[in-house]
Amino acid sequence: MTVGSFVRTLALMLVALLAGAPAQAQPSVEQFYKGKVVSLYIGFSVGGGYDVYGRIVSRYLGRHIPGHPTVVPINMEGAGSLKMANWLYNVAPRDGTAIGTFSRGVPFEPLIGNAASARFDPTKFTWIGSTTNEVSVCVTWERTGITKFDELYNKELIVGGTGSGADADVFPKIIGAVLGSKFRLVSGYPGGNDIEFAMERGEVDGRCGWSWSSIESQKQQWLKDGTVKVLLQLALKKHPSLPDVPLIMDLARNEEERQIFRLIFVRGALGRPYMAPPGIPADRAAALRTAFDEMVKDPAFLAEAKRSRLEITPISGVELQDLLKVVYQTPPDIVAKTRAYLK
Amino acid sequence: MDVLTAASDAFFIIIEPSRMMFLLLGVGIGLLVGILPGISGVAGMALLLPFTYDMDQYTAMAFLLGLGSVTTTSDVLTSILFGVPGHASAQATVLEGYPMAKRGEAGRALSVSYMAAMVGGLIGAVILGVTIPLLRPVMLYVGSPELLAAALFGISMVSALSGSAPLRGLAAAGIGVLFAMVGADPQTGTLRWTMDTLFLWDGLPLLGVALGLFALPELCELAIGRTSVSKVPNQDLKAGMIQGVKDVFQNWWLAVRCSSIGAILGAVPGIGAAVIGWLAYAHALRTEKGASKTFGKGDVRGLVASESSNNAKEGGHLIPTIAFGVPSGASMAILLGAFLIHGLVPGPEMLTRNLDVTYAMVWSVVLANILGCAACYAFSGYFAKLTLLRYTLILPSVLVIVYIGAYQDSRDWGDFYTLLAFGVLGWIMKQLRWPRPPLILGFVLGEVIERYMFISIGRYGWDWLNPMTHPIVTILLVMAIVGFARAFMSNVRAEGGARTMMGGFGAPHFAKADIFPAALIVLLVIMLVQAMPWAFGAKIVPLFIGGITLFALVLSLTAQVFKKPKVARVLTARQLSGEDPEPEEEMDERIHMDIAVDHGSIPKREVIRRAVIFLGWIVSFMASIGLIGFLPSVPLFVIGYMKIEGQERWKLSIIMGTVLLVFVWLVFHQILAVTWPGSYLGDLIPAAKIIPSV
Repeated sequence: MTVGSFVRTLALMLVALLAGAPAQAQPSVEQFYKGKVVSLYIGFSVGGGYDVYGRIVSRYLGRHIPGHPTVVPINMEGAGSLKMANWLYNVAPRDGTAIGTFSRGVPFEPLIGNAASARFDPTKFTWIGSTTNEVSVCVTWERTGITKFDELYNKELIVGGTGSGADADVFPKIIGAVLGSKFRLVSGYPGGNDIEFAMERGEVDGRCGWSWSSIESQKQQWLKDGTVKVLLQLALKKHPSLPDVPLIMDLARNEEERQIFRLIFVRGALGRPYMAPPGIPADRAAALRTAFDEMVKDPAFLAEAKRSRLEITPISGVELQDLLKVVYQTPPDIVAKTRAYLK
Repeated sequence: MDVLTAASDAFFIIIEPSRMMFLLLGVGIGLLVGILPGISGVAGMALLLPFTYDMDQYTAMAFLLGLGSVTTTSDVLTSILFGVPGHASAQATVLEGYPMAKRGEAGRALSVSYMAAMVGGLIGAVILGVTIPLLRPVMLYVGSPELLAAALFGISMVSALSGSAPLRGLAAAGIGVLFAMVGADPQTGTLRWTMDTLFLWDGLPLLGVALGLFALPELCELAIGRTSVSKVPNQDLKAGMIQGVKDVFQNWWLAVRCSSIGAILGAVPGIGAAVIGWLAYAHALRTEKGASKTFGKGDVRGLVASESSNNAKEGGHLIPTIAFGVPSGASMAILLGAFLIHGLVPGPEMLTRNLDVTYAMVWSVVLANILGCAACYAFSGYFAKLTLLRYTLILPSVLVIVYIGAYQDSRDWGDFYTLLAFGVLGWIMKQLRWPRPPLILGFVLGEVIERYMFISIGRYGWDWLNPMTHPIVTILLVMAIVGFARAFMSNVRAEGGARTMMGGFGAPHFAKADIFPAALIVLLVIMLVQAMPWAFGAKIVPLFIGGITLFALVLSLTAQVFKKPKVARVLTARQLSGEDPEPEEEMDERIHMDIAVDHGSIPKREVIRRAVIFLGWIVSFMASIGLIGFLPSVPLFVIGYMKIEGQERWKLSIIMGTVLLVFVWLVFHQILAVTWPGSYLGDLIPAAKIIPSV
C-alpha cells in the first residue's frame, strides 16, 4: 500500500457515492442499458457466502452487458432470502434493471417447504445462471473411526444442523428416512461455522450437507491430514475431484427413491443462482444470460474469485430453467412422501 | 512464527503511513456512524467492506477494525446528551449519563465515557493479544452447555437489574424471552407468533425494541417537559473534562473488572452487545460501595462500568472469530466476509502462518481506541452545548434519525411498527416504574438459552450438568443461583422480613395503574393459547417461560390490589413482635432501576395530554412516510413540529428542515444506499418515483 493507492481508493469511494442518474429508456438492449444502474439484490446480509459471490458478480457482470450498465449490489435480507424472492417476483421492476440472488433452497419452498409463505412460481423467474454447481458432502471426524458410509447402517453418527429447512438438517433426515442409515441430528447451531467448531471440540462428530467447495477453500488442512473423512457426496452428479466417494443417487434402490433424492439434491446444481423477475423483455433476458456466460469465462473475474478462494463451476440460465421444470413435474405422491420424511 | 516477533512486526506493518491513513479514515467514519442513534459499526463496516477489495490484508483489517472499534466510543454522545442510546450497547450509559447531563455535567459525563471506553478498548485488546497463543485450547472448552450456562448466568442478573421491583423485573424478563421467541423456530420450523408476516420470521428487530424502549420515552419526556435537556447552566467544560478523567482513574479497578467482563463475554457467541453493558453495570451495582443508593441518579461508576465493558468486548469478539471462524456478533460476521475476500482462513493458520495479521488486528484495535478517544475529546466540547438548546430544535431531528436507525435493522415497515409499539410500552413502563433492563436481557438471552438448551439436551441428555465433565457449567450455574438467592434475601429483608411480606393483606383497592399488568396478563394468555397447538419442540420453552411470567404478573397484581400500603405493614409487624415502631426510618434503600420520572409541577392530566400529542406527532410522521415517502416527510415533519409545537419562526424552521433533509439524503440515501420503504404516492403516480424514497 502506498499513499497513492490511498488517494485512489478515496477517489473511487467518492465516485461510487455520486454515481446515479438513470438515462431515458430506448428500444435496443445496448441503448437501454447505457448509463443505467442495474440493482443486484442479495437475499442475505453482508459478509456471507451469497454476499461475497454477489459482490464479485456485481463488479464484473456490467462489463459484459451491452451498454455496460453499473451493477450495484443491494442487500435485502430476511426469512432466509424468501423475503427477497417474494419481492423480486411480485414488486421489482420487470425491465431488466433489477436482478437478484437468493438461496438455492428457495425455489423448493412451494413444493416441500413453507408453501403459504412463498408467493411465486419458481419456474417463471428469468433464470440468468449460477456461478457454482455445488456438490454437498457428508463428513465424519476421525475420532469416530468411521471411514465408509456403509458403516452408518450399524453405527450412529451425531451430525450438527443449523435449523429446520437448512441443508445440514434436510439431508441427513432424508437419507436416514429413505436408506435407514443412523444419523442423530443435533440441530440449532447458528451457522455452518458453528457446526465445524462443534466438531472440533467433540460436540458433534460430523456434518451432512456441507458444500465441498467451502471445505476445499476453508478446511483443506482437515482433508490433508485425515481429520475428516468424506463419506458420501450429495448431488445429481459426482464432483470431478471426488471420483471414489459414493454418490447418493447411486444408492437409490428403486425409481421412487431416485425421485425423492432428485427432488432434494437437485438444489446443489442451482449453486449460487442469479435471476431476474418473470416477464422481462426477451432481448434483455437473452443479453443478461449471455453476459453471465461470458463473465464466468472472463480471466479477470476468475482471478479475483481465485484470490477469494471461491469455486467457479458455472451453470447457464437455460439449464437452471430446465432443471426446475423437471423437478416441478415430480409426481404428487412422491412430493407428499418427501414432505412427510422431513416432518 | 514467534509470538513476540509477530507482534512487533505487526506493529511496524500497521504504523506504515498509508495504513495509518486508512485506519484514521476508518476511525473517522466509525465515530460519525457511532453518533447516529441506531447506526452501528455493522452498518459502517458493511458500507466499507467492498472498498477493501483492492487493499492488502493488513490495510483492510486496519480500515475495518478502525471503524468497528470506535463506534461504541462516540455512541455515548446521544446517550448522554438526549437520553437516546447511540446503539443497543449504550443503554446502561443512558441510565447514568443522562441524569448527569440534566444537572449540567454533560462535559464530565462525556469525559468519563471516552476515557472508560479507551481503557476498556485497550484492556480488551491486551487480553486478546496476550491470550492469542492460548486461544484455541481455551476455546475448545467452551461448548454449547457452557454457552447455555453463560446465558443463564446473564439472565440471573435480572435480579440485580430489577431494583426495588423484583416481581415486575421477573415478569419483564419473561416477557422479553417470549418476545424473543417470535419468528421461525430453529428446531421445528414452526412460525411462532409471526402474524402471517414474513417480517417476523427473523424475529422482532433488536434495534426497534431497544430504541423503542429507551429512546422514544426519553424524547417523549422532553416533549412533555418542554424545556432543554439541562435546566441548569453547564458547568465549566474543561473542568468537567478533567474531572471525568480523574473519575475514571479513581475507579480504575472497576474499569479493569468491567473491561475483563466485557472482553470475556464478548468472546461468547450470542451474548450480544445489547446485554454486555447491562451485565457489567449489574456487576458494578452489586460490588461497588453504596451503589444501590446512587446508581440511576448519575453515578460516574455506572458510566465507567458500561463504557469500559462496551469497548472491551470488541477485543473479545475477535477471539472466536479469529480462532474458529465463529462470529460472535454481527460486525464479526462482516469481518469474516473480509477474511473471505482476502483469502484468510480463520483457525490455526491465523495463529501460525498468519500470526502477524492477527497481531495487526490487535494493534488496529489499540490504535483505533487511542485515536478515537483523542478525537472525541477534541470535538465534543461543541456537542455538550446541545443540552442547552430548546427541545423543539433537538427533538424533531433526533426523532427522524432514531426512525432511520431502527429502520436499518430489517429495512422494513415492521421496524417502524416495532419501534412505535415498544416506544409506547417503554413509556408506560417508565411511568409506572416497571424496570426496563430485564426486558432487554430476556429478549437477547432468551433466544440463546433456547437454542443451546436444545443442543445441550439433544447431545448430552442431562450429562452436561455433571460437574466432572462440565465444570464451567457448574461454576456458572452456582454463581447464577447464589446471585438470585442473595437478591431474594435482600428483598425479603427490605420488605421487613418474611412475616411482613406474607401478611398485611387487606380489602382490595384498585388503581388505574393496575390496567397495565392486567393488559399484560391478557396478552400473555392470548399468546399462550396460540402456542398450544405447536410442535413440542417449538412450544416447550414459550409455555414454560410464559407460565412463570404469568405467575409473576398475577402475583404482582394481587399484591398491588390487596396489600396495605407498606408503611402500615411494617408498623403492624413491628408492633406484633414488640419492637419499637420507627415509622420515619427509611423503608427501602433499594433503587428504582431506571431514570427517575420528573415532571416537576406539571399536573398528571397535562402530562398525559402532552404525551398523547407527542404520540400523535409520531403517528402522523409515520403516516406521512407511508403517503409521500421518507425523504419528503423529513422536512414536513421538522417544519411542522417546530412551527406548530414550538411556535418557532418560519425561517429557522425551514432552515432546520432543509439541513436535516440534505443530511439524511447525503448520508443515508447516497452513502449508505438505504432502500426506502416506498409510498402510496409512488404507487399511485409512478412518475413521482423520480424523487428518492417516494
